[in-house]
Amino acid sequence: MLAFVKCFSLKRTKHPRGYEDPHVLASETPFTVNEIEALHNLFKKLSTSIINDGLIHKEEFLLALFRNSSMQNLFADRVFYMFDRKRNGVIEFGEFVRSLSIFHPYTPEHEKSAFMFKLFDLHGTGFIEPHELKKMVGALLGETDLELSEEAIEAIVEQTMIEVDTNKDGKIDEEEWKDLVAKNPSILKNMTLPYLKEVTLAFPSFVLDSEVED
Amino acid sequence: MDKNGIVLMQKYELGRLLGQGTFAKVYYARNMETGESVAIKVIDKHKIVKVGLIDQIKREISVMRLVRHPNVVFLHEVMASKTKIYFAMEYVKGGELFDKVSKGKLKEDIARKYFQQLIGAIDYCHSRGVYHRDLKPENLLLDENGDLKISDFGLSALRDSKQQDGLLHTTCGTPAYVAPEVIGKKGYDGAKADVWSCGVVLYVLLAGFLPFHEQNLVDMYRKISKGEFKCPNWFPPEVKKLLSRILDPNPNSRIKIDKIMENSWFQKGYKKIETPTSPDSHQIDSLLSDVHAAFSVQPMCYNAFDLISSLSQGFDLSGLFEKEERSESKFTTKKEAKEIVSKFEEIATINERFNLTKSNVGVKMEDKREGRKGQLAIDVEIYEVTKSFHMVEFKKSRGDTMEYKQFCDSELKPSLKDIVWKWQGNNNNSNNEKIV
Repeated sequence: MLAFVKCFSLKRTKHPRGYEDPHVLASETPFTVNEIEALHNLFKKLSTSIINDGLIHKEEFLLALFRNSSMQNLFADRVFYMFDRKRNGVIEFGEFVRSLSIFHPYTPEHEKSAFMFKLFDLHGTGFIEPHELKKMVGALLGETDLELSEEAIEAIVEQTMIEVDTNKDGKIDEEEWKDLVAKNPSILKNMTLPYLKEVTLAFPSFVLDSEVED
Repeated sequence: MDKNGIVLMQKYELGRLLGQGTFAKVYYARNMETGESVAIKVIDKHKIVKVGLIDQIKREISVMRLVRHPNVVFLHEVMASKTKIYFAMEYVKGGELFDKVSKGKLKEDIARKYFQQLIGAIDYCHSRGVYHRDLKPENLLLDENGDLKISDFGLSALRDSKQQDGLLHTTCGTPAYVAPEVIGKKGYDGAKADVWSCGVVLYVLLAGFLPFHEQNLVDMYRKISKGEFKCPNWFPPEVKKLLSRILDPNPNSRIKIDKIMENSWFQKGYKKIETPTSPDSHQIDSLLSDVHAAFSVQPMCYNAFDLISSLSQGFDLSGLFEKEERSESKFTTKKEAKEIVSKFEEIATINERFNLTKSNVGVKMEDKREGRKGQLAIDVEIYEVTKSFHMVEFKKSRGDTMEYKQFCDSELKPSLKDIVWKWQGNNNNSNNEKIV
């Protein structure tokens, strides 16, 4: 298979760090072995776009999402952080597949919901607090080029807290989060990637076909 | 769920459940200001949005709000919360008309009285463009004076779907009372179908049993579609003749309501009921203000999480995969919901191209013309972040993608220019690194 040819071309006798047997990954995720091989192709493109080491670095991740490797984006940073399960600053293949599997259409909603809660819990305290919310709303408005006054941002945060923080302890806990998601499942929209269901059919050809010329 | 003791809109104290259907629940309630008893019908907004008939329901409810006929259950007030619509209706104590019949057939004079009241009320509503379409025992009530009260006028849309030919298409209804053209799944005319049902009611009142009644539905449908029934020998000859004209399976030759009213048997002792003069336009506005409010487009509230998950590109991993051109577009706006809706109304009327209907999350535009793949339809959803910060999302729900794209690029998007704050999404980032 092409995968092998590419691997040899990396002049390694072994797979790169973090490579895992597709059969093992298939047993732990909704993906089939074929789909994992397809994902490996995507992974290779992502992980070699800037630094050819078979690991996805933050810059490569940003480049893929925004076509811009130096993009500042809180949410992309958070997603990267969540994918980097070992917290070593890079995404290995196993991490990539396991994290993407949460976005699979067949993955139960509670897993998606839990992932999203952690993503929004910026400081990892187990709660989403108003200052974190405020930071995220600010980041979102910056990202989307919308200018809102400080008061308007405060108002959005306050209104969200009123709606979600039902026990009124000033922070959002996992139970309150689950209630919100149950009431409003569209919040999880980004947590499902329909492409993952047909990853072999519609072969994922990553938008970057060659290395960046920079 | 027990709703006892719940107070609705700080005005009505809910009591026991009176009845329940697919779309609605009806509760007994008491007006806490006046002590008056009412029946409150509770309808799930989602359900009526799903059947796509919010405009038709609004139209008929508006008419019913203006109607005051002694034989029609009066609609006091229409209210709404975020997810429900409430109809506060006259509470009718006397039970169902058919409880009387179940004790045996009625005397001719009594039967005639109810039939006169039925036809009089139906005629009154028909003349105002409201059809019942589901006349059946449960909807014929008696008040404490023993007068007939027809309930559920104006809610027929919740059972039927009206298609473009102006005829109704449905398969539901109460078989024994339903006109053959309704069963035949052909489109039907609500006025003619109501006449048929009145005929069945008259028969039952005088006979004490149904004209079309068979053990199995197939036989029953067959008899209905042929108009095959026998009158008991105690039916007066004029009634037999009248019934043969009403229970005519051909809707086009079936007797019309004005002719029924001219019939000599019907006329006996008939006093035309004085109905109050129609309200003037000023009164109409104030009477209908609650209906307008209840059916107005109320954007869904968007909290910080909705905002992030729908707008953040950094949290949209679909960018990792090559994707088809999206058929949805989003923009943010500083306008209020009302202004957004009227903008879309304005766009819909350009060249009189689109029909615009309101849903409870926004509007729907439907092309009046046939396109390459049928009519083009566009769903528009409006979300409120703050009073002067809304997000609007629209997407094709039907029709040809190329046609849609062309309409969006050359008409829709340019026309929206003056309400758009920012277009959202990843199609217009100018400072991308050039790659490939």
